[in-house]
Amino acid sequence: MSILTSKDTRVVIQGGPAGVNAARRMAEFCHLSRIPFNVSAFVFPPDAGKTVEIPCGSTLVSVPTFSTVEEATKADPGINTSLIYIGPSRAYDGTMEALKDPKIKLVSMITEGLPEKDAKKLRIESERLGKTFNGPSSIGIISAGEARLGVIGGSYDNLVLCKLHRQGSFGVITKSGGLSNEIMWICSQFANGITTAIGIGGDTYPGSDFSTYLEMFENDPQTHAVVMVGEMGGDLEEKAAAWFAAKKRRIQLIAVVSGYCQEELPKGMKFGHAGAKEGLHGEGSARAKAEALQKAGALVPATFGGLGPAIKKTYEALLAGGKLTTVAEDAVPQNLPKTIEEAIADGDVFVEPLVKSSICDDRGDEPYYSGYPASELINKGYQIPHVIGLLWDKRLITPVESEIVKRIVMLSADHGPCVSGALVTIIAACAGIQMAQSVAAGMIMIGPRFGGAVTGAGTWFKYAVENKLSVDDFLSYMKQNVGPVPGIGHRVKSLRNPDKRVKELVIFVKSQKISTPHLDFALAVEEKTTAKKDTLILNVDGTMAAVLVDLGFKVEALNGFFILSRTIGLIGHWIDQNQQGSRLIRLFKYLANYVAPKKREVPPL
Amino acid sequence: MAKVLEGPGMGLLAKWGMPVPHYVVITEAAQLDALAKANPWLIESKLVAKAHEAIGSRMKLGLVKVGLDLDGAREAAKEMLGKAVSEVTISQVIISEMVDHQDEYYIAAQSTREGAELLLASMGGIEVEANWEKVRKLAISLGSEPTGTELEKLAKDAGFEGDLVGKVAQFAAKLYRCLDEEDGTYLEVNPLVLRASNGELTALDAVTMVDADARFRHPDWNFTFASEFGRPYSDNEKAILEIDTRVKGSVKFIEIPGGDTALLPAGGGASVYYSDAVLAMGGTLANYAEYSGDPPDWAVEALTEKVCSLKGIKRIIVGGAIANFTNVKKTFSGIIKGFRKAKAEGKMEGVSIWVRRGGPFEKEGLAAMKVLENEGFDIHVYDRYTPLTDIVDYSIKGVSA
Repeated sequence: MSILTSKDTRVVIQGGPAGVNAARRMAEFCHLSRIPFNVSAFVFPPDAGKTVEIPCGSTLVSVPTFSTVEEATKADPGINTSLIYIGPSRAYDGTMEALKDPKIKLVSMITEGLPEKDAKKLRIESERLGKTFNGPSSIGIISAGEARLGVIGGSYDNLVLCKLHRQGSFGVITKSGGLSNEIMWICSQFANGITTAIGIGGDTYPGSDFSTYLEMFENDPQTHAVVMVGEMGGDLEEKAAAWFAAKKRRIQLIAVVSGYCQEELPKGMKFGHAGAKEGLHGEGSARAKAEALQKAGALVPATFGGLGPAIKKTYEALLAGGKLTTVAEDAVPQNLPKTIEEAIADGDVFVEPLVKSSICDDRGDEPYYSGYPASELINKGYQIPHVIGLLWDKRLITPVESEIVKRIVMLSADHGPCVSGALVTIIAACAGIQMAQSVAAGMIMIGPRFGGAVTGAGTWFKYAVENKLSVDDFLSYMKQNVGPVPGIGHRVKSLRNPDKRVKELVIFVKSQKISTPHLDFALAVEEKTTAKKDTLILNVDGTMAAVLVDLGFKVEALNGFFILSRTIGLIGHWIDQNQQGSRLIRLFKYLANYVAPKKREVPPL
Repeated sequence: MAKVLEGPGMGLLAKWGMPVPHYVVITEAAQLDALAKANPWLIESKLVAKAHEAIGSRMKLGLVKVGLDLDGAREAAKEMLGKAVSEVTISQVIISEMVDHQDEYYIAAQSTREGAELLLASMGGIEVEANWEKVRKLAISLGSEPTGTELEKLAKDAGFEGDLVGKVAQFAAKLYRCLDEEDGTYLEVNPLVLRASNGELTALDAVTMVDADARFRHPDWNFTFASEFGRPYSDNEKAILEIDTRVKGSVKFIEIPGGDTALLPAGGGASVYYSDAVLAMGGTLANYAEYSGDPPDWAVEALTEKVCSLKGIKRIIVGGAIANFTNVKKTFSGIIKGFRKAKAEGKMEGVSIWVRRGGPFEKEGLAAMKVLENEGFDIHVYDRYTPLTDIVDYSIKGVSA
């Protein structure tokens, strides 16, 4: 047995993400106690019609979201409890809605910062309707082994430690959320655990209060004693004392009250909860409350530290008096299923990886490029070319290599709006396409005829140098087996109209003290091909390819240098068109040569 | 509950039809001259000048001057503005007219669990405190209005006679309305006087407390709330208050100069038990502090720095019950950062730290705290198996269990 909430409780949670989090916690408790999940619905108008998936054990349960409590209780007429996770400005209306629903018997409000007047009105309305209104600012209610409303009880480990999967004999009523947990822990350490624990919230005017719940505990045969944690301020503890003293009670009462410090501190200094304040004329002091409770026959330890021994004493007396017998503990409660991450961390499972990565490790607090922390590279003055070297070739390139790579990137960053890549990006930009898609469209143009010959050129120059082919042998091999030599030839550039980019690059590379067999070979090839035809020069792709192979880059990486460089230009073109507010481009008809058949009649089908 | 200073408090009374003396709030003495051109009463009436700050016993501290003319008021304001009183600088002075009157009365309205109650006495000033049993009360249940008959009976019971009965009843009705409409928690008018010139009941002084949580439905509340403990907030307290308004969860901090034991506990409930335990063991509190509701680690770090900066402390109590959802590891990481910073600034000399906590990620949090043992901190770390406030006993007795 228990009070307020039991195995028959079915819950609607009113509110957004905080309510969903609570539902997850409640599902953990249901798993621990081996009972069905008891949250039937959410009421959250912005998400009405959607479902929320809550992990229950190793499965997911779909919980529907409605826009009103009425819809929720119609969908599941078993709903009898509502939890309020609505912000303070709308919590009053939401709670009223729940209280007025004939199916709802208990409303517990988690919301903090509800105006006092609203709390008072809700309590009075709930009493009129014969319902229970718990809170505001309540951490929740838990009946061991039967139901958990809210996050009361905390983490799964704590639920296990506090033996909350099965009923004990102690009821708990506290204002403080943290202390409700503490008392449940003490009851499990020093006695046999709890029946039901209730957080009533620390506001000035809580809904249902100590006396109401004491009366309920009195009528619950499973509960033999109640631990009550009070605070200075208000008169609820005095009322509880009056209730306890009114007649002979079956339950025993153990109570502590906080706020003695108020006697020695500046008057009016506010401590702890909103409700924890003495009256202006000294009413509601901790001492007065403790004395009232003691006089009423409650066991009142002088300090919080005395609570454990007092609970122990009460428990032992109950055992000695034959009211209780010790029962063997159930088997160890089941564990919460681990997430795959937890299981891996604990070494419980082996998972075959799906992807292998050998260049970058992001499992720490920053990426490591081929083992080097990115921040250290920055701080030690390394540059973008070094990052390229690390991610494309897994090595820290030398300063000379870095300078050459930098120059290659700078020289190929853009080549005006007319080349196919830029043109396509510009057309896309003018059609209102976003940056990523427009740039990607331009990049699709990179291939054998535009910018994509670097890998091809590198491959064949490397083949020639590796096999020590003469230029003539190479050219005839290419002619027979491959076709035109990649990296040789240009649409507009020629011997008389040389490509300045190539010239600059070659001069710089040759001025460095590095061995350049591939560049030398490529230049020798150019000498032969330009003798045949003026435009068969070593173009920028071919030059880059030869130089990069000389620097030791793998041929697979070579096209990347052009793609990377030209992306800078393509992004620039997209920004440029957007800033100009360019209009849609349409090809003029006179630029199209229409050679399709003339109009003719469509024959019958 | 939140206290409203005299100026805005008077404004609320006036808003609901209760006569109040003319008043102006100034931040510079010279403002009075321009104000006098628009407000003839500043020249025609005798004036009172008061420091407009949440400072207790203003009379004793010479922060109330009465019977002044405009020149006197200007002088008084000049003297008060910028003056430092117990670490607080006076930044506002309220100048009000002296109301010619004979008798003084007392009236208050306060929020109760069932609704509200009106308190009335036919004596005012300090006399009412000495004769508290003569105060008559009328309970008003929530959602109802006190009737004229009830209010007149209250006035008669309190000893009012003649046409004053009707006047007091009307004033009481307005005071109740003001309490109800403005989400007031306590409104006290003391003294309430009969203005000799027109026979109108006038509120000479008021204590105004409203429910800060109801601010969202009072867009016209253009005032900030004042502290309730007889002195304005210190800069350190203001800094934490400011953080508190911005973050999820809460961080609280109040300084108590001269104490030997600093508090850095979690939870509105547990923190008070820790305060009680310190005093029960014969220690003295250097502050009150509390964090709860899973606040961000940086907010807890800021709170820790303030706690470590308290002068003359011997020990810091990092206590807490078993948290429901506050992440112990995360909040402790804020505390640890704060401690390390304080140590680097030389603030932890001779200060011992006592830790007890449970809750989500308690093992990780406590382990991280224990690392400070190797960094030269005098730190003692306990887990859930040590009862909540036992660390206070250990810390003051100097015994480590």
